[in-house]
Amino acid sequence: MNIEQQYMQKVRKQRIQWFVFIVVLLALTVWAAIGTNFNLFVLFSGLSEGFSFLFHDLLPPSPATLPSLLDAALDTICMSFVAMILGSIIAAVIAMFTAVTTTPFPRLRYFFRAATALLRNIPVLIWALILVSGFGLGNLVGTLSLLIVSIGMLVRCFAEALEEIDRGQLEALKATGASHLQMITSAVLPQFMPSFIGWSLFNLEINIRASTIVGMVGGGGLGFMIQSGIKLFQYKQVSMAIILVIVIVLATEWLTGRVRERLI
Amino acid sequence: MTLLQVEQLKKVYPDGTVGLKGISFELEAGEFVAVIGPSGAGKSTLLRCLNRMVESSSGTITLQGNTITKVKAKQLRAVRRKMGMIFQGYNLVARSTVLTNVLHGRLGYMNSLKGALGLFNKQDTELAKALLNKVGLSEQMYKRADELSGGQQQRVGIARALAQRPALILADEPIASLDPAASQTVMQTLYEACKADGIACLCNLHQVEVAKKFATRIIGIRAGEKVFDGAPEQLTDEMISYIYEGAKHEEAVGRKETA
Amino acid sequence: MGKLKLYFSACLVVFVLCLLQLQFDYSKLWSGLFKLGNTISLMLPPDASQWQYVLSAAIESVQVAIIGTVLAIVCSFFLSFLAASNITPHPALSWAIRGICSLLRSIPTLIWVLIFIVAVGLGPLPGVLAIMIGAIGSLIKVFAQSIEEVDEGVIEALRATGSSWLGIVIQGVLPCALTALLAWCVMRFEGDLAESTILGTVGAGGIGYELSHAMRGYRYDQALFVGIVIFVMVFSVELVANRLKLKMAKRL
Repeated sequence: MNIEQQYMQKVRKQRIQWFVFIVVLLALTVWAAIGTNFNLFVLFSGLSEGFSFLFHDLLPPSPATLPSLLDAALDTICMSFVAMILGSIIAAVIAMFTAVTTTPFPRLRYFFRAATALLRNIPVLIWALILVSGFGLGNLVGTLSLLIVSIGMLVRCFAEALEEIDRGQLEALKATGASHLQMITSAVLPQFMPSFIGWSLFNLEINIRASTIVGMVGGGGLGFMIQSGIKLFQYKQVSMAIILVIVIVLATEWLTGRVRERLI
Repeated sequence: MTLLQVEQLKKVYPDGTVGLKGISFELEAGEFVAVIGPSGAGKSTLLRCLNRMVESSSGTITLQGNTITKVKAKQLRAVRRKMGMIFQGYNLVARSTVLTNVLHGRLGYMNSLKGALGLFNKQDTELAKALLNKVGLSEQMYKRADELSGGQQQRVGIARALAQRPALILADEPIASLDPAASQTVMQTLYEACKADGIACLCNLHQVEVAKKFATRIIGIRAGEKVFDGAPEQLTDEMISYIYEGAKHEEAVGRKETA
Repeated sequence: MGKLKLYFSACLVVFVLCLLQLQFDYSKLWSGLFKLGNTISLMLPPDASQWQYVLSAAIESVQVAIIGTVLAIVCSFFLSFLAASNITPHPALSWAIRGICSLLRSIPTLIWVLIFIVAVGLGPLPGVLAIMIGAIGSLIKVFAQSIEEVDEGVIEALRATGSSWLGIVIQGVLPCALTALLAWCVMRFEGDLAESTILGTVGAGGIGYELSHAMRGYRYDQALFVGIVIFVMVFSVELVANRLKLKMAKRL
């Protein structure tokens, strides 16, 4: 029964690995629970208080506040859209410089990579906080911080897509004596278009979510209305604004889904 | 007593496609019946209606004297465990061991929690090992299922079906994805296992030669209707062309050349 | 390509309309850049003198992320099997769970934090609850997706043995989907950690509070230090997560 023994050994080893994994995870959780004074009682009382606040104080929304919110909602949508359009154009250009397949200056690749990683790994809210110090409160800050994070995210996605394109076509064109720009317009762009559109649409979805967030630290739009509404105890207005957020987010998802189906 | 009795079995899909147009037949214990017909004729639907993986639209199915067409939940599980099933794509749990896959055949006999946690008792494990020995795979017992070749995986599938201690095995194109040598082994294994334990087998096949070689009886299906039911010797070339001239013309041309 | 051109020109029109709606003060763009340059010069060199507070706040952020994610994983794990369309006990149940999830998901975590702060007060608790709710919304969706990718044949085969629902799920579906589920958990933790670092900016605990505190006090040098710590946290978790993912891909 040699095979059986070997198997048992393997099973035992796997079991020990799982056991260690679970113990470590459990220990981390317990450590975190102690550090934050968290336990199941707190969880359930917190959740029940949260939802009773949600259903008693926030809901129902007051439709009377809707007109005053619509402008903010429109701002939220516009900020996301502007950031998406500018972001995807700028990111596409930078991505051309960072992808191995298309870069004219291979040495500069790492510089662009690191720079965009910095844009990406600082949360959008922090960008907004920084920009507020320069541009004051308002839509401009919201749009710019969304733009920065969009560029960070899109360059990475675009560059990955550009690196996956078929090198054979590039070589074939190179062999005909085409210039770098000609190669990009005639061989790269057609292959790149589907992922360009796909990621840009995805970016729009993310921007829509993020734009309600940047509003909270002064970026304008619905986030600002929610933040100030809570401070002023205007809960019925807050819930109306949250419902608008839900509607906008779901509508965007639906719309981008439709466009994706049509175009890709 | 008749093992299985099928009367006027009909299946209409929600989109209006007619799968079965009223099929009737009987099956005695120990029979090895091949079901032949072009793809799309309703062979798979027929098999899946029998163990209620697909709900038939009308007609009755009687297994060992009990009508099973309407049974619910718990009894349905009991009915299904009496019918082992073998699939074209083997359908093993790729990441689990071969032995575990065979033990899955016992799940129908265990209570929900025990089965889910994989707490198989000693008899079950012994049975599974014996069955793996029978299909010639005891060496591979502790390998992961996806490390095996197609033919070996299908033999694990057979062992899993046998682990149910079934009265009837439903085999849906068991050799359609296998090369000729592996096909031969798999059919031989299935045939011998059924014969040894007196298990009846209803086997969908598209190779007429294989059907003729192993079957004690052949049922021909064309466009959801039974058009032939008899001994292999009675299946004439004209009959074969008639069966395969079914649904699609191009299909028929291809089949005639091979048959 | 004609359709594409149509869409692009539509985008251009909407883009112009958006700019009209937003009414940026473009003169501010220049002066703002100078002010921003000024701010940045105030940031340098970073001031690490408050490191004890920053460190304990950073640890709190990590702890909030861990608890929120673990709780969310536990809840989502059970619910996702009810939500996956291929093994759900009832389609209506699947539909209901999915609907609730997309509702939970469409409200950003930061709004959940605001709600919970009002309901349960300041501190780490609103952060944990908000992260948990947000993570449940997205985890159930991706868990269910991975479960739905499990080969239909495996489920069919186990159903044909007469196995119970629980047996099918744990013996058949789980082994097939486990790697994917683990990968999603790792990814979710990455996202949750990034989120927990910013929760403080609206009043929940954690390192975000230190950041907004420093910014509001015009201590940009301290703020930069906090910013660096946040970047290191988020980035190192991304690195560890990538390694874990590679390891899992090899192992399983």
